[in-house]
Amino acid sequence: MSEYKPKLVCFSCKFSWGYLRDEDTLSSKIDNWMPLICTGKIDATHMLEAFKAGADGILILGCPEGDCHYQDGNYEAKKRVYLVRRLLESVGIEKERIRIELSRDPEGNRIPRLVEEMRQELAKLGPLKKGSMIEKKPKETIKARGGK
Amino acid sequence: MAKPKIAICWLGSCGGCDEAVVDMNEVLLRVAAAVDIILWPVAMDFKYDSLKGMKNGEIALSLVNGHVRNSEQEEIAKLLREKSQLILAFGSCACLGGTPGLANLTTKEDIFSWVYRDAPTVVNPNGNYPQTTSSVNGKVLTLPEFYDRVYALNDVIDVDYYLPGCPPPPYSVMYAVSAVLEDKLPPKGSILAPHRALCDSCKRNQSKPDKISIKEIRRIHEVEADPDTCFLAQGIICLGPATRDGCGEACMSINMPCRGCFGPVEGVEDSGAKFISAMASILDAESDEEVATVVNQFVDPVGYLYRFSVPASMLQKKRVEK
Ligand code: SF4
Ligand code: SF4
Repeated sequence: MSEYKPKLVCFSCKFSWGYLRDEDTLSSKIDNWMPLICTGKIDATHMLEAFKAGADGILILGCPEGDCHYQDGNYEAKKRVYLVRRLLESVGIEKERIRIELSRDPEGNRIPRLVEEMRQELAKLGPLKKGSMIEKKPKETIKARGGK
Repeated sequence: MAKPKIAICWLGSCGGCDEAVVDMNEVLLRVAAAVDIILWPVAMDFKYDSLKGMKNGEIALSLVNGHVRNSEQEEIAKLLREKSQLILAFGSCACLGGTPGLANLTTKEDIFSWVYRDAPTVVNPNGNYPQTTSSVNGKVLTLPEFYDRVYALNDVIDVDYYLPGCPPPPYSVMYAVSAVLEDKLPPKGSILAPHRALCDSCKRNQSKPDKISIKEIRRIHEVEADPDTCFLAQGIICLGPATRDGCGEACMSINMPCRGCFGPVEGVEDSGAKFISAMASILDAESDEEVATVVNQFVDPVGYLYRFSVPASMLQKKRVEK
């Protein structure tokens, strides 16, 4: 069990997080990091897809309240996170597996720290329970679907 | 020339889809004259054994409704696949898992405990549960195996076409059947309904303000909804923006918001997630408290957003400790 290292996907908005740093240097310190322009771009589908692809948790870092370059992308992201949490809970997935923080860190030093903090929280929860998004379909199915 | 053979079959079904076939009324008589219906358990007397005796591909088209949750349903689905040139997944259960798919939000064990032990009307002093085989007076009796979850039809067999709806409206049934008879079929895998969203054809769309902004989610039974105004603008959740068009607006016309039976629009896998993204933009809330308050007013989001589609969605099923 001590071997278990939760997989985390971190999305962060380039307007507030790490924009003064060289992206390559920073990304070498953060696994599965997706810097993007505006967290409002993160659709609820992307969140579910991250879990489907094997993530144990998702961390979203958006711009401070009232500071979105596109007016309200960060609020959109926050509302989506709250709604997706409700979905996750209904299918037996802990809501703590998805977090959003609206703040700023131009140097980006806090990103690896926040990721590590959340990773530790996730380690307490353990791996995602088997049984839904990542569940394999029956063998025949895969055959019937032409190996998809 | 021999008439093309057609099968109409139900798996885990309420019978509503078969009713939709009957609702073609006189047209059904014309169809019946043009084809040879070789299997229709709800309406005619045929044996599955005679189906087994048929040649592979002998049936031109099988209209299959209902979900798959037990080994018998799976066996019949596979048998029909073998004997049919074309399989049409008929109705939301076959296409997406349907309302019975909501059972994926609970477990097989919980269902059995409730149905055979805990429900107040149950008297079962010996604690009998259904078994796939049991012997009575030296005879072996068998029952189909009840699976852990509900599947959509394409989870167990290859499906050629999809006709969503709970049930599909009669005109779309006619369209689908005549497309086969006249050999005017779209590419394999097509969903026989428009690609766009219901909002695109909804009469209430014109009443939408430039920007919808709701502070409070209201439920349809709690309010007197205006029959001409967009439901979302009234704070009532309507799944029209994320649901495929083609139902004929049966719900709209009786002043009920869209519940999503036609499934996602073209190219979208999970209509619930798509709706969430759209919904976030109309909720008028900023602080954590405001967001939490309005989001928590949304009663049973999974049940509402995935009423017809849990098994085919990205959620698929509740996770349990194994
Ligand atoms: S799609 Fe609707 S009408 Fe058809 S079998 Fe399922 S529940 Fe019944
Ligand atoms: S949200 Fe519903 S009521 Fe409003 S336009 Fe779309 S389908 Fe019509």
